[in-house]
Amino acid sequence: MDWNQIFQNTVRAAVGVDAIYFAIAALGLNIQFGYTGLVNFGQAAFMACGSYGLGMTAQYFGIGLWWGIPLGIIFVIILALIVGIPTLRLRADYLAIVTIATAEIVRLFVRSVKFNKIFGGTEGISNFSRDYRELNPFEPGTTYGFAPFTFSGYTLITVFVGWTLVAIFAFLVWQLMRSPWGRVIKGIREDEDAVRSLGKNVYAYKMQSLIIGGIIGMFAGMVLSLDRGSVQPDNYSRDVTFYVLTALVLGGLAKVSGSIVGSMLFWVLFVLSDNILREVTRNGPLRIGDFTIIQSTQVGAVNYMFVGIGLMLLMTYRPQGLFGNRKEMALDGR
Amino acid sequence: MLGNKQSQNSFVLKLALALFCGVGLIAGYAGSAVSAAADDFEIIASVQNQTLVNGVTSRVPVAGVSVTVTKIDGSVVGSGVTDEKGLCTVAVPSRDDYAILIDQSTLPDGLVLIDAEKASVTISKDLFTTNTKRVTFFTGEGSAAGATETERILQRLADGIRLGIIIAMCSVGLSLVFGTTGLTNFAHGEMVTFGGLMAFFFNVTLEIPILISGPVVIVLGGLFGLLFNWGIFARLTKRGIGLISQLVVTVGLSIMFRNIYLFQFGGRTKQLSSYSKQTNLELGPIGITPRDLTTAILGVIILVSVALFLQRSRLGKAIRAVSDNVQLASATGIDTRKVIKLVWFAGGALAATGGIFRGLDEQVSFSMGSDLLFLMFAGITLGGLGSAFGALIGGFFIGIFVEMSSLFVPSELKVAPALFILIVVLIVRPQGILGKSQRVG
Repeated sequence: MDWNQIFQNTVRAAVGVDAIYFAIAALGLNIQFGYTGLVNFGQAAFMACGSYGLGMTAQYFGIGLWWGIPLGIIFVIILALIVGIPTLRLRADYLAIVTIATAEIVRLFVRSVKFNKIFGGTEGISNFSRDYRELNPFEPGTTYGFAPFTFSGYTLITVFVGWTLVAIFAFLVWQLMRSPWGRVIKGIREDEDAVRSLGKNVYAYKMQSLIIGGIIGMFAGMVLSLDRGSVQPDNYSRDVTFYVLTALVLGGLAKVSGSIVGSMLFWVLFVLSDNILREVTRNGPLRIGDFTIIQSTQVGAVNYMFVGIGLMLLMTYRPQGLFGNRKEMALDGR
Repeated sequence: MLGNKQSQNSFVLKLALALFCGVGLIAGYAGSAVSAAADDFEIIASVQNQTLVNGVTSRVPVAGVSVTVTKIDGSVVGSGVTDEKGLCTVAVPSRDDYAILIDQSTLPDGLVLIDAEKASVTISKDLFTTNTKRVTFFTGEGSAAGATETERILQRLADGIRLGIIIAMCSVGLSLVFGTTGLTNFAHGEMVTFGGLMAFFFNVTLEIPILISGPVVIVLGGLFGLLFNWGIFARLTKRGIGLISQLVVTVGLSIMFRNIYLFQFGGRTKQLSSYSKQTNLELGPIGITPRDLTTAILGVIILVSVALFLQRSRLGKAIRAVSDNVQLASATGIDTRKVIKLVWFAGGALAATGGIFRGLDEQVSFSMGSDLLFLMFAGITLGGLGSAFGALIGGFFIGIFVEMSSLFVPSELKVAPALFILIVVLIVRPQGILGKSQRVG
């Protein structure tokens, strides 16, 4: 790998599948966290609902792939009720605690030996996406596009479908937040009691926000598993939510463009860091004298360490992210 | 009290600087500790004996079974014999397709593979999601034998008490920090891991027995807690950054430290060397090692002294007062900032103690603390967020509950019932057993 290749990888990451599914997940999380002020730390579980909705059509139900969408929505609603009913009346941190716990339990359930027949255990589910592959107008083996935007035909369809979904959801969120419903939602974030005194059912609005954000997040999981052609339980670990959150904060909370640009930028920076570190450790560990700074197996840890540091610095010094409006960052008020 | 005098520095360093000091400190401690991070791939074969009594599945590791790992073409890559945890680790050179074969003639008498066709398992290279791939073989008993129902319940209870002590110990700090500052600290698990990894560093790398290095680690854990406060959260509060934003900062902190641990320590779990090989004492129907018995007794002593300290001593009373109502406490002349520092120190020290105990009990890994975080939250929610006694009671109960529930649910899902408790508590009595209701709304 040379520096030209690193540059190309980095630029390509801005439009690749990773950025797409992060953008969709961030749009959903933005409704909950950015607009409503709900601290949902379990977006990964909502994403898993989508993936397993698709995967289970083949693995368990033996029905057509597209039944996965209504199935996923049902899962999302059940999950949102489980985490929402006990917590939405309480302080914000209770939702954080319960969502992070539920997401972890969901992951344990789908990867368990006990429910192997339903969810496919640790190996997950593959061979479910044939209906989707047959829609692919591109040759899977051929490479399309121009440098640096080159994709195999196998991936290219997901890139198109994905960005279409991003556009649809971005428009949807934008319109929603201009609607009376959106104004109530933002009102809840600013001052819950004031909204309640206007006769609005705050609890119901919060629940709706959780479900809508969850359904959008569900599509992120679907895009991911369609692209990979497999459903993997470990794609939905606890930290995935936090990486999406970092992308969201990076772009700017409570901004439609923030979710999208933030996700693109997140992956550009991530791939850049990853590629550079892999390049410098390719021919053995990087050393100064006898002191080993980094070796190739540690690259992943360093990348994620940067994510953690980035999230902390952003929250401290620029909570509104790149595009957000500081006035919209009402999280400081509590 | 340690730490009260320090950090009255008049100059203000930037947050980032403090942060990197923190990183440097950790890197400095652990630097030479574990230079060999996970540098190659490994396959862990696990042999578990599965018994089904009255519809309840339980699993016991099987030791002494020969395991051979071959490439697909049949060439042998490595072999080994399972240890007392039923595990056999075979290092493999690369991410590739392998076949794992167990020698059925080495199974203990009376045990047979449940699925005889699965004496050999083939894995493809795609299954290496991390550097480690685990393959489990299940055996069953040819003849009816094994523990009775009562014995198994008592055994679980003993395990549960040990886990409960650890969770109670770890969660006191989490609950007190919440009570005094309002912060929900998602990086608390990393403070537990800190204790475990430091214990590993002293015990295995420097070969200092745990009895001597333990207290050092506990003090370091306290200082680590102080560092969190001094380096980050005290500054954030000063800048007027809200609690929800601080909560997100704790998430970033947790990610950062977990990956620093992964960087230094590698992804494998490792064993502390002190007291690692012991045979069970048979106390009636319960098998417990002298080590576990000692840690359990020590744990109870620590928890009781924490409770007495909070109940009787002036400082303990001050902590509870601040935890109850910050404004009122500061109006009565309590130095709340001092109390908050003390709470971070004590919380960090207790978390590190919990980490050492957990490391002795199970094994040490980079995510050992964050894996417990959810149980700690369940414990302190049950006991009442912000209440130290609540954390003790709730954590203890959750530990027992989780271990006992593995009688009824598969052990891989034994933490799931804790979520059930968490949800029921929040619906029925969101303030928990000892909490105050004005906090929750």
